[in-house]
Amino acid sequence: MSSTLDNMVQSVDKYQEQGQEWMERLLAAAQPGAVFGEAVTSGSYTIITASEIAAGGGFGFGFGGGESPASTSGETPGEKQENTGGGGGGIGGGGGSSGRPVAAIVIGPEGVRIEPVVDVTKIALAVFTTAGAMWIMLGKMRSMSRR
Amino acid sequence: MARLKDVIQWQTISSSPVTVGDVTVTPQSQALAVHWPFGGFVWNRPVAILVERGGPRSGERIRVVDVTRMVQLGLLGFSLVFSIAILAKSVRRKEQRA
Repeated sequence: MSSTLDNMVQSVDKYQEQGQEWMERLLAAAQPGAVFGEAVTSGSYTIITASEIAAGGGFGFGFGGGESPASTSGETPGEKQENTGGGGGGIGGGGGSSGRPVAAIVIGPEGVRIEPVVDVTKIALAVFTTAGAMWIMLGKMRSMSRR
Repeated sequence: MARLKDVIQWQTISSSPVTVGDVTVTPQSQALAVHWPFGGFVWNRPVAILVERGGPRSGERIRVVDVTRMVQLGLLGFSLVFSIAILAKSVRRKEQRA
């Protein structure tokens, strides 16, 4: 039984180490290099891209063990039957990251300017969702006022 | 017990400056990092650039505006105001009838 416990403790340590390593990789998204791209020069213009980055995740692990009850049938007096036991564990986790371009920094002969990047798809989706929600709200209010 | 400062971190980070001619641009980003024992979350966005011409004292800060996010928030605010106005109007009508 003690060997099973030792195995479990070793597994927990291993899982924790793996988790820490994974977390360090995830938190690399907090570095400014992840937000601003490398400067690209073309002619007399230099462009740096700026993006919004989000990353998150988590992991968990579990383990358990037990002993099978000693069988008494066929046991001769004085003979001690060894208990058999077992255990097991597992680890699982998940995560994700997303990036979205926000703006481009343009350094040229006329100075430095920031060109915003507009995500038309996201804006269109937001417009349709807002219009839908307002339509539903108006319909409900009308039906309530008729009662 | 972990302190709140260790769990939630909100910091402004300056990236390495880029020099083109006599112009030096230093990009700045803001990062929100939330750590918990078995996971975490990081949100990092650009906030501004510092532009220096000829020397470090001639600094100018230009904000990075996220147009997409502003439009999304504007629409959310508009729908909330609209919902509250409609709700108030219907309540007033009910009161007038009663």
